[in-house]
Amino acid sequence: MDLTLTRDQLDLREAARRFLGAVCPPATVAELADRREWASGTWPELIRQGWADPDLSAVELALLAGELGYALLPVPWWTTVGLALPVYQAAGEPLPGPATLVDRPDGSDTPLLAARRGAAGWRIDGVASAVDAGPAAEFVVAASTDGEVGLFAVPAGPVHVPTEGIDPLRVLGSLTFDSVPARLLVGPPNAAGLLARVRDRAAMLLAAEAVGVAERALGFAVEHAKLRAQFGRPIGSYQAVSHLLAECYAEVELARSLVWRAAAAHDGPAGGPADATASAVLAGRRAAVQSCEAAVQVCGGMGVTWDFPVHRWYRRALWLDGSTETLAAIADVVFAVGESGGPPGRVVREVRRELS
Amino acid sequence: MRLHDDEQEAEFRASLRVWLREHLPPVPEVGARRWTPAELRGWNRTLWTGGYAGMSWPVSYGGCGAPPAVQEIFVAESARAGAPDHANLIGLNMVGPTVIRHGTAVQRDTYLPGILRGDTLFCQGFSEPEAGSDLAAIRTRAVPAPDGGYRITGEKIWSSYADTADACLLLARTDGPPGRHDGLTCFLVDMSTPGVTVQPLRQMSGDADFSRITLTDVAVPESAVVGPAGSGWRVAMTTLAHERGTLAVTLVARLAVQFDRLRRTVVAAGADRDRSVRDQLATLHVEVEALRCTAHRAVATAQGGDPAPEATVLKLRWSEVDQRVCALGFDVATPRSPWRAYWERERLRSRTSTIEGGTSEILRGIVAERVLGLPRSR
Repeated sequence: MDLTLTRDQLDLREAARRFLGAVCPPATVAELADRREWASGTWPELIRQGWADPDLSAVELALLAGELGYALLPVPWWTTVGLALPVYQAAGEPLPGPATLVDRPDGSDTPLLAARRGAAGWRIDGVASAVDAGPAAEFVVAASTDGEVGLFAVPAGPVHVPTEGIDPLRVLGSLTFDSVPARLLVGPPNAAGLLARVRDRAAMLLAAEAVGVAERALGFAVEHAKLRAQFGRPIGSYQAVSHLLAECYAEVELARSLVWRAAAAHDGPAGGPADATASAVLAGRRAAVQSCEAAVQVCGGMGVTWDFPVHRWYRRALWLDGSTETLAAIADVVFAVGESGGPPGRVVREVRRELS
Repeated sequence: MRLHDDEQEAEFRASLRVWLREHLPPVPEVGARRWTPAELRGWNRTLWTGGYAGMSWPVSYGGCGAPPAVQEIFVAESARAGAPDHANLIGLNMVGPTVIRHGTAVQRDTYLPGILRGDTLFCQGFSEPEAGSDLAAIRTRAVPAPDGGYRITGEKIWSSYADTADACLLLARTDGPPGRHDGLTCFLVDMSTPGVTVQPLRQMSGDADFSRITLTDVAVPESAVVGPAGSGWRVAMTTLAHERGTLAVTLVARLAVQFDRLRRTVVAAGADRDRSVRDQLATLHVEVEALRCTAHRAVATAQGGDPAPEATVLKLRWSEVDQRVCALGFDVATPRSPWRAYWERERLRSRTSTIEGGTSEILRGIVAERVLGLPRSR
């Protein structure tokens, strides 16, 4: 086992933090969130810097996802690179621009959408929910054809009806496909396996993002605890405050270890731990929610105001937070010890279901 | 980054497994084997003969100089195979690294080979009745003797394995009033010196793992001083950093085995279909895996040096997970379960975990001040 970052990986993380810190201070996050806008001006620069480079390993992607969670820059990176890029890669096509994956949110193997081949090529029908469409130029669509899964490209066009969610920087919505023309990217039988890997990797990246969210919230709290004085002393000198933050730090570092484990499992040979992604997701979300809530508490009356930045991160943490389905999936793995190791597909499905 | 063993690691693991199988009795179906002091010493000797003593120590001091991944394989496989974990735990994990870091050439030659061979079992004499978390408040005094060396008088408490130890790493005040960090000095004391008496203390679990050491005018030579006289605080902090970092790797490996005992207890009790029990087990599994990976990161980051303050979270969180594993084992094992007696003892034993080696309160303070940079809280 080796869970250390290489020099290059450390540099990558450092460069990402510096760049995002410059283009996306908390005031910018607040402005974009209140206007429901994305950082369209920064996107080309990210692409130029190689953030969508298909050669990036899962570990490197996890580092970038963590930095995006830390900065909360509103760009469609997770949907484009996390969800859509591997499909274009498999099809031998370049990225058409920002993209997303239209998939069944409960993670079931049978897509909700149907694809049929007519004289004029492929057409897609059906209604998809819980899609993070963002400013996608093209949708990668998982649709069934003759009972099997195929992955298709559909130019943006079907009407996206966003649902008000807790995080204005990540809005899910429904999409209606009414005989929409599509082109086949990856057909059966390869599409099903690819889709499973994409779902799992994307869930791992959300866990990485969660750790970034947690780290930033902890940062807000520590900064405040050092400066804010009450009873003549900085409040961070009181153990009731400092011990709470020490616990958050432990939570963040333990979750980070699990994210790296999950990322390393992706970069390694098949047959890694079946619980890797689910464990990272569970720990990442808990760290994010716990750190954000601790930050609100430590920042006191200021912490609960709209103008104080913490709620932007707290909203993301809650968007990431889910039901106990992940726990059930991990328990399946624990009790499958000694057997064949349990079917990893199941775990992924449970994680994915929570995103709906 | 990678999770799988590379070729060298896979080879080491395979040969270690064979070796452990050949040298250890089978793991009991229920509970864990209890080893006598004589058997523990024997196991030390076996490890040394097999070439497995001092995995993390530098080769130049007789250790194996093993890379972090190999160290982790060693502790994990040893724990899995039921190897005794108390065998010279303090000597190998804490005193050895301290002597390597602060000791003289003579001290290294005198003590390190004995620790590795298992001939010299160490205990640690830090805490006192009036100095627990506030270690600098110790009252044990070492006074320069007219004929050279020092005379030490005082009382040490909560000293693990002192009843079987051959030597003690002892902290005493050589100068100044209690409470100050300067004026403290660390000594390597031979436990057979006249004036040293050991009285085992029975814990609530019924075990007597630690003792009270009384020192009455104990003569120690000048050569027993570790690091310059008066720098004992720094030396003790090295020892404690290893207790919370290096030792934590072993503790985490043992916790993974303890978790497996919990899983087997749950299955034996038929509670593996209980949703609440399953959820608790899954939560604990996630924490055990997180600790395992974090321990690996800590060892790799330290790279032969002293563990960073960041490693403190390992001991902090290990102790909490240890207690929760034992509590769930106790709750699940019904009075008729063959596991009942084991978890009764473990439940009581585990309360020590958040106190020994730095209370959780002290450890949170270290993280807050030294990692997060918050102002001092006292």
